[in-house]
Amino acid sequence: MFGEINFPGQHDNEQVVLFLRRHWFIFFMRLLLVIIAIIGLVLIYVFFNIFGGDFSQSSYYNLLLFAESLGTLFIWNLFFILWIDFYLDAWIVTNERIINISQKGFFNRDISELKLTKIQDVTSEIVGVIPTVLGYGNIYVQTAAEVERFSFYQIPNPNEVKNTIVQLQEKERKSEEIEMGQAIRGEL
Amino acid sequence: MSSIITTLYLIVILIFLAFGAAIVFHLLYYKINRHVSGVMSLIYVIGAFLLIVSNFVLFRQVNWEQIFGNFRL
Repeated sequence: MFGEINFPGQHDNEQVVLFLRRHWFIFFMRLLLVIIAIIGLVLIYVFFNIFGGDFSQSSYYNLLLFAESLGTLFIWNLFFILWIDFYLDAWIVTNERIINISQKGFFNRDISELKLTKIQDVTSEIVGVIPTVLGYGNIYVQTAAEVERFSFYQIPNPNEVKNTIVQLQEKERKSEEIEMGQAIRGEL
Repeated sequence: MSSIITTLYLIVILIFLAFGAAIVFHLLYYKINRHVSGVMSLIYVIGAFLLIVSNFVLFRQVNWEQIFGNFRL
């Protein structure tokens, strides 16, 4: 299902079980900035054309078009900056571990991982009207590792994700116990 | 056309290109899904190229001397 997904340091037999990003509504809220900027450009153009009298014949008309075009250039960049921030911020749950890839602007990227066997408990929360209606929320994974709390923010279907993580953790723990038992009995 | 205006315009375009280079770098270097990264970089590059070309054409059409005539730039 996630055959196309690659991440740094992926093991040979590691299978991606869940690939999570923030809910689309979070991206949409950021996208509002771009939409407002576009509306602003359109309004400026309309304003000068309606209230500017013979504005389209004046030498300032070309200046307005140039300024609008320059604005569009930077809106184009803004959209992609917002998209990259959304796209590169991800949580990957594999059959071995959880990987948190956090992108903070340009050239600032944190990647942390947590083995499933180190998980102590998993909590999901959905707070607020919009998250409840759209079904997104946070997940907190309590760990016995150096990083005590692993957080997934604004991800879709947090309850289902929590259940999947718990199931994977139990499976991984059982297989580790079997391996340990075999090692003690000298079968390995 | 005043050289100061041209220099300022060049600086603005260079800022845009610097951001553009950073965007393409992030798309291609930190690729999580190669297909999505490839398509999005292509869209970005084509869009940015068209916007820069149209912006340059509009820049040349502006009569800067007349607009800033009083300032003797």
